[in-house]
Amino acid sequence: MTELTEEKVIDSADGKVWSQGFIKGMTEEGEQLSEINPESGPLGGSAVKAHSHGDSHGGGIGIPDSSRAGRLTSYKLADFPLITGREEDWRFTPLKRLRGLDRVGVKGQELNGAAPAVEATGPDAVTVETVGRDDARIGSAGIPEDRVAAAAWEHFKEATVVTLPAEYAGTVEDVTTLTLTGSGETPAAAHILVHAKKFATGIVVLDHRGTAVLSENVEILVEDGANLTVVSIQDWNDDAVHASAQHIKVGRDAKVKHVVVNLGGNLLRTTPSARYSGPGGDVEMYGLYFADAGQHLEQRLFVDHSTKNCKSRVTYKGALQGDGAHAVWIGDVLIRKEAEGTDTYELNRNLILTQGARADSVPNLEIETGMIEGAGHASATGRFDDEQLFYLQSRGIAEDVARRLVVRGFLNEVIQHIKVPALEERLRDAVERELAASA
Amino acid sequence: MTDQLAQDVRANDVVEDATNHDILQRNPELEGLGNYAFGWSDKNATSDNARRGLSEEVVRDISAKKNEPQWMLDMRLKGLKYFDRKPMPTWGADLSGIDFDNIKYFVRSTEKQAGSWEELPEDIRNTYEKLGIPEAERNRLVGGVTAQYESEVVYHQIREDLEAQGVIFTDTDTALREYPEIFQEYFGTMIPVGDNKFASLNTAVWSGGSFVYVPPGVHVEIPLQAYFRINTENMGQFERTLIIADEGSYVHYIEGCTAPIYTSDSLHSAVVEIVVKKNARVRYTTIQNWSNNVYNLVTKRAIAHEGATMEWVDGNIGSKVTMKYPAVYLVGEHAKGETLSVAFAGEGQHQDTGSKMVHIAPNTQSSIISKSVARGGGRSAYRGLVQIREGATHSANTVRCDALLVDNISRSDTYPYVDVREDDVSMGHEATVSKVSAEQLFYLQSRGMPEDEAMAMIVRGFIEPIAKELPMEYALELNRLIELQMEGAVG
Repeated sequence: MTELTEEKVIDSADGKVWSQGFIKGMTEEGEQLSEINPESGPLGGSAVKAHSHGDSHGGGIGIPDSSRAGRLTSYKLADFPLITGREEDWRFTPLKRLRGLDRVGVKGQELNGAAPAVEATGPDAVTVETVGRDDARIGSAGIPEDRVAAAAWEHFKEATVVTLPAEYAGTVEDVTTLTLTGSGETPAAAHILVHAKKFATGIVVLDHRGTAVLSENVEILVEDGANLTVVSIQDWNDDAVHASAQHIKVGRDAKVKHVVVNLGGNLLRTTPSARYSGPGGDVEMYGLYFADAGQHLEQRLFVDHSTKNCKSRVTYKGALQGDGAHAVWIGDVLIRKEAEGTDTYELNRNLILTQGARADSVPNLEIETGMIEGAGHASATGRFDDEQLFYLQSRGIAEDVARRLVVRGFLNEVIQHIKVPALEERLRDAVERELAASA
Repeated sequence: MTDQLAQDVRANDVVEDATNHDILQRNPELEGLGNYAFGWSDKNATSDNARRGLSEEVVRDISAKKNEPQWMLDMRLKGLKYFDRKPMPTWGADLSGIDFDNIKYFVRSTEKQAGSWEELPEDIRNTYEKLGIPEAERNRLVGGVTAQYESEVVYHQIREDLEAQGVIFTDTDTALREYPEIFQEYFGTMIPVGDNKFASLNTAVWSGGSFVYVPPGVHVEIPLQAYFRINTENMGQFERTLIIADEGSYVHYIEGCTAPIYTSDSLHSAVVEIVVKKNARVRYTTIQNWSNNVYNLVTKRAIAHEGATMEWVDGNIGSKVTMKYPAVYLVGEHAKGETLSVAFAGEGQHQDTGSKMVHIAPNTQSSIISKSVARGGGRSAYRGLVQIREGATHSANTVRCDALLVDNISRSDTYPYVDVREDDVSMGHEATVSKVSAEQLFYLQSRGMPEDEAMAMIVRGFIEPIAKELPMEYALELNRLIELQMEGAVG
């Protein structure tokens, strides 16, 4: 392979400006694909090199970094190269706005702020404990897949462990809620483990509020035959920055419903991943987001089908309004060779309400065996359906009311799947609030 | 047609190894086993001693041999600089098998171009006979043939009526000499010199390719065809194609590739640039069937102006690795872009194909339809980018990709990127991956059809929406190729 050099600018031999005649947005070097992080330069840095040589822990030679099978995982921060912004994983994230979460360990950047205060409510049978770093259960469901999550893993001081005892049978009214209230802008790390033991049924809600610059790992361990619903709500103050890696491990014949609700905050990056530890697992992942002016809401999912006869369904829907509102949805599904009988479908829908908003939607599907039940994905981004609007207006409904009805109907499709009555009401109100703010 | 070719191959004493030849004669049933239909090679005195490896000297040498103007030499040298500096792609297929130092960058097969069929040297003529070109020529099925043999275009003919209409159809080297103004105006504007590593490489060492200019309002009724062949071991083929369709014109260009089998890897890295001016329409059809040792890394890009339509029909059957994403930049209002893509990945093959649609002007439309089949451990991927830039209001795009898997060792991936910066657009993407169902097979078998035939029929049905867009000869060839690929797919 030709040796790479770091030199970025090539002087034109005759000083002629070659950009003339090019397509708008194109230079002599083609297009800048990571325009969100323009300062990272066209030739990339260490990240490009590290991958092009197929380092030992990441994929070997021949597994490009766009394949999820080759993604580096490690508990150690030092194993991850610095983020340049050109990596597939980071290319949409405005690194400058991460407020240092990406640079922990570099130039004295620390991650030692106070983790959000945790307040728990819910049925007595479900235990909520605060444990130290050395607790044996930590790490039973997840392993960091990016530098930010690894930094959080290395720096968290205490973890909160929620345990649903074996054969516990909660109803839709028995909701365990952890309210995590952030109170500072010092970069902080947090760790949560939700553990549903064998054949337990229950609902756990993680409710993030306040102000924080937070990097968080959430482990969700679902043992054989359990049926767990986890709802993670991010409704921070406007200036919050939150990176949340949520690792789900699904046991044999277990069922998980995972819901992400991203509403408030300056930059939210939620990266749920689901892995199966036995056949018959069933994962439903729902997402709801509403991006306002200046907000960056990023959702990156990964479903790793590594055992037989598992099922996954992903449905994310989002609305965007205002200048600079940016939503990113990446849905990676990997069906490994041994995962015969897999049944998977992913769906993402974006509704752009005003000009200046931007939605990126990438459903990736990698399949290594043909012996599957079915696999597919769909992604669509659009604006209001003018005809729907016209119809409603022709029935005497004012335009703003009609718009609100359409958005409500659009997002309701996700809300109604949560099936936690107390939450549904709250989310409907939140959507109303967001809509009212725009009017 | 392919049958005929295969027989020709046998008849023509092309198996160079005498021992092999004898064995085959005694055991005719061995013939065709794992054999690539177009896998003969002619002895070629010139290319045996062509220089391997790439350096500034090689680039200067190519340019000097062609008597090129200074600006082209500068461009080539700049391409070389970028090639040295640009990283290899960190995504897509495994390219670690390419040895840039072991490739012949320029091979000249005959000193001057031949004006008619009879003037061609006999061995080159033989090669083309096997590909069936003279037949096509005689039957006037093609508008003009630019056949590429070892980097230089050695034969071409434009039908008189095309010439009368003012259509220019020539090889790219001739175009640089004879139409310098129009050439310099468009060359490298759609695909800049430093666009990517392989486009830079092509800019540095390009040779051959087709140049088409269609004057305003002219409709070229018959498809323009070009055959390409790589005929030298380890030889990279770096053709450069430039098509300009002036206002209100129409042209259908067909590129077809077959290459002989060799033991070590070959590199094919072409650049195709197309300008579709106001209200013009261009269709570009490729059926790529390189032999299974070729790295096929191609950059194809078109720019569609107001009301223009660009259509890519892209078939990828052969090669070891293909990375190809034909693009349309929709820069004028009401421009349309369309890609129909079919990929077939058999044993040892990786087809990483797709398309790119960039909406820059309002009211633009694009659609991508991709069908892929993977079998025998092959890997097929759809990789696409749809971008709606600021200002491209009321744009619409749909992407539909379907993949068919026929066994449990093959792999199929879908990576559709979507980037939307406007609110009043409509975007849709849908993908399905399915296996050949036991019911379908059972039904066909119960009608007395053997399993492999049933399988081939299902696959043909799967790609039918694209096959029907091809000219008749190509559709037949595609079906035949699919059948060849599916042989032994079952059991």
